Amino acid sequence: MGDSKSDVLQGTLDLMVLKTLESMGPLHGYGIARRIEQVSGDTLSMNQGTIYPALLRLEQRGWITSEWGTSESNRRAKFYSLSRLGRKQIEEATENWERVAATMARFLAPS
Amino acid sequence: MDTLRTLFSRIASLFRRRHLDADLDDELRSHIDLAIEENRKRGMTRQQARTAALRSFGGVAQAREAYRSQRGLPILDQFARDLRFGCRQLLRAPGFALTAILTLALGLGANTAVFSLINALLLRPLPVPHSEQLTVLQYTRSDSDPSFSFSHPIFRFLEMRRDVFMNTAAFSDRPMQVRSGSGNVNVPGAIVSGQFFQLMQTPPLIGRWLTPQDDQKGGASSQFGVVISEGFWRNWFNSAPDVVGRKLTIANSPFVVVGVMPRSFIGADPTTRPDIYVPLWSEPVVDAPYDAIASGYHSWWLRILARRSPGVSLQQANSGLQAATNPALQEAISDAEWLKDQREHHFQLGAVAGSTGFSYLQRDFLKPLTAVFALCAAMLLLACLNLASLLLARSAARERELATRLAMGASRRRLVQQLLVESLLIAVLGTAAGVVAAPAVSGALAAMVLTRTPGATLDTTLDLRVFAFIALTAIGATLLIGLLPALRATSRNLSEQIKSGSQTISAHERKRLLPRVLMGLEVALALLLVVGAGLLATSLTRIYRTGLGFDPKGVVNLSLDMNKQPLDGDPLTRWYENYGDALLRQPGVKSVSYASITPMDGSVWTSTYHTPESGGDKEIYMNTVAPAFFQTMRIPMLLGRDFRWNDTLASGRKIILNQAAAKLLFPGRSALGQHVLESGEEKKTYTYEVIAIVGDIHYASIRREAPAGAYIPIAQDTGHKPSYTAVVRLEGPAAPLATAARSLAASMAPDIPPPVMISLSQQLDDSIRSERMMAMLSIFFAACALLVTAIGLYGTLSYATARRTNEIGIRMTLGAQRLQVAVMVFRENAWVAMCGSTAGLVAALLASKALTSFLYGTSVHDPWILIGAVALLVAVASAASILPAMRAARIEPMEALRSE
Repeated sequence: MGDSKSDVLQGTLDLMVLKTLESMGPLHGYGIARRIEQVSGDTLSMNQGTIYPALLRLEQRGWITSEWGTSESNRRAKFYSLSRLGRKQIEEATENWERVAATMARFLAPS
Repeated sequence: MDTLRTLFSRIASLFRRRHLDADLDDELRSHIDLAIEENRKRGMTRQQARTAALRSFGGVAQAREAYRSQRGLPILDQFARDLRFGCRQLLRAPGFALTAILTLALGLGANTAVFSLINALLLRPLPVPHSEQLTVLQYTRSDSDPSFSFSHPIFRFLEMRRDVFMNTAAFSDRPMQVRSGSGNVNVPGAIVSGQFFQLMQTPPLIGRWLTPQDDQKGGASSQFGVVISEGFWRNWFNSAPDVVGRKLTIANSPFVVVGVMPRSFIGADPTTRPDIYVPLWSEPVVDAPYDAIASGYHSWWLRILARRSPGVSLQQANSGLQAATNPALQEAISDAEWLKDQREHHFQLGAVAGSTGFSYLQRDFLKPLTAVFALCAAMLLLACLNLASLLLARSAARERELATRLAMGASRRRLVQQLLVESLLIAVLGTAAGVVAAPAVSGALAAMVLTRTPGATLDTTLDLRVFAFIALTAIGATLLIGLLPALRATSRNLSEQIKSGSQTISAHERKRLLPRVLMGLEVALALLLVVGAGLLATSLTRIYRTGLGFDPKGVVNLSLDMNKQPLDGDPLTRWYENYGDALLRQPGVKSVSYASITPMDGSVWTSTYHTPESGGDKEIYMNTVAPAFFQTMRIPMLLGRDFRWNDTLASGRKIILNQAAAKLLFPGRSALGQHVLESGEEKKTYTYEVIAIVGDIHYASIRREAPAGAYIPIAQDTGHKPSYTAVVRLEGPAAPLATAARSLAASMAPDIPPPVMISLSQQLDDSIRSERMMAMLSIFFAACALLVTAIGLYGTLSYATARRTNEIGIRMTLGAQRLQVAVMVFRENAWVAMCGSTAGLVAALLASKALTSFLYGTSVHDPWILIGAVALLVAVASAASILPAMRAARIEPMEALRSE
């Protein structure tokens, strides 16, 4: 579904979400969005709303699970956590990214 | 794996949509709340915090939409949306929806009904293994159509040959007189030759098949074996498990049950359901006192089915049979003169496909059913054209909406898809309604087809083939109805519409051409149907107005089966006389007589007579009758006297000629008192004295001229145990007579099956059943076509006029009179009707030739019918146009101008 350009973008957002959950543990959608904004600084301009289709996609693939819980400020929120399959996916995707990044770096490096 | 998991999750979500939507809304709300909370902590006011939170979230609606399309199946979702939209569109115009669905239901229902009849009679293979190998044997002669009835000696020769066929079997259907507790009753049966069941290959339910060992002169042992149907086993033997070996008395002779065939087995003729199968060699027993086998090559009564050996094509089988023609004739028949005659007329055996088995009804109804099917197809096409033009007119009313949506970025494909879903909805609803009604209609049609064959049935249930036909037709109809309007409504140049508003008259004119062409085509088709109906109906009334030569009103026939009871000769004649006297004493009975053949009962008996001046043998249509036959039938007796019961052979052979026969045998002089000669068998000559001249009557066909005919008295019948039909002229209801006739027969001849009563008028109707069926259906279709066309003309003109309200307002403001406006609107349909009628007339002149063979005394170019049809259509078109025209004339110019 979709063309190749958005696939790459999707892939990056997916990996960002997975990595966030890996480092932070179970987290609600707002928390994930804020964390990604903070880590990427000004380099990524993202509508927080786009996180939700991505979360659903990851859940459909079985990489994350969700359940309703209570936030630190006593609010009802849906918390997402990484599944076993998700951890495996992080390894695979990370490897993949590093390979792509290295390849791109070779192309971009001044020869 | 991932893809599969995703798919499952998506499908699952389809069923929990509402819950998941609420869940998502909760989640998004909590997201915003969390964001507001954080912003407040940073010191923003409540309002600022909320604005900032929403800004950084982005479009809530977009997020929700993206989430939903990730969650469900977008195509399905879209389809469901289109479907809901289509339903709303239909509900918004319920009159239109109802008309659309009903017209389509009519067209599709009629097609389904006729197709399921065609399927049952002509297409459905026999339910036996490898039915494609089945072959029907026929023979051709240069002087007649192919024939499918064979004589016993030729069949026995063919049965032995195994070169192109694995098995060859003969069969012949007839009722069997089976002894029950209360005397003999008729049970549908079939005489089959030894290889019949091997050929059919359907395994028996209980016991065994009949085999070639059963089909031997005198039976395998002392008595013949029979195979019975599952239904007969259940009803007659109460499903007894030990049925094999039980006795069955058929035609007063003992038979023994050897097997039961399952319900799925229907024999070799798709229109009959034999309950009893007896071996071919038992024919002299079940047919007693007749014996078709003994009459050898004089009797042609067996239909032959064969199964080709694997790998043998129909063509090879055909040439194999052609090559076998001469050996078969030489071997089977020794009459040199007869053989010479066959050679002169190029007698030749042949094979035709037989996967559907063989029934004479298949030959009789191939052409009428094809014609009826063509009528149905025309009706359906007309209904589709009608809906297409109505949808076109309606989508013209929506074109600004569609143009706006196109301009806002909806893809054309998306809009076409949506509009097609709407027509699909109409098609599906129409099909459903049609399919629900179809079985009743096809049942009624089947009854009409089968009316002449007592006990015959046709299985018109909807099978896979019919459903495939329905599906294809429905899809075709959807495309036909919806595609043109959809493409039209979304065509690119329409976006100009949005720029220029609706007042662009020039583009309008061009655009109105297509609906007019569609409506014109519809009118042409309607005219075609009306002309067809006019021709067939006129032909039918002419058949009915034909002077028959007798008066069928008030005459009933009672057919008596006397061939299995003990009386014969003079005692039997006296029995007939007494039974007739007893009938005559019943209330309402005016006169009673007997005849061996009643008019149009389907049988023919000819004989050749000559006189010194006749110039050789003349073929005369014969009948054996009792006294008072002419009085009962109201056939005028022109000269001489009627037969008497004492006109026996001892008093000399007597004959009564009709006028045509008298003219043929005695050209130029009176026949009364003269003698005619009959060359009998073995060079014997019989002399008959002409005792009366009577009027001519139609004998076997209303459509054919009354032939030269002659009558001989019942007391001089030399046949064994002849069965006669009592003809009774009666005033008042017939039902009491039927009861009386039955109880009289039961007391006077306890052995015979109850006599069957039919009115002579019914018999005449039955003899022209295909003509009646075609005339009735074509009138029905023509009436529907007129109605549908009227609705179409009215609907399209109403829409078109409604869209021109503005323009008409301007015209009126500029001084147009109300009458002028009405004429202007009216003229639109007048043009369509004129052009359509002209086209239809040309088509009718070209196509009506196909009807020639169905017509009686009616020219396909009968000017009155053509003129009448055109006048009818013009009248209907005018009637449909008056209301919109009047409405247009009543438009108030100021209101019209303000409305845009």
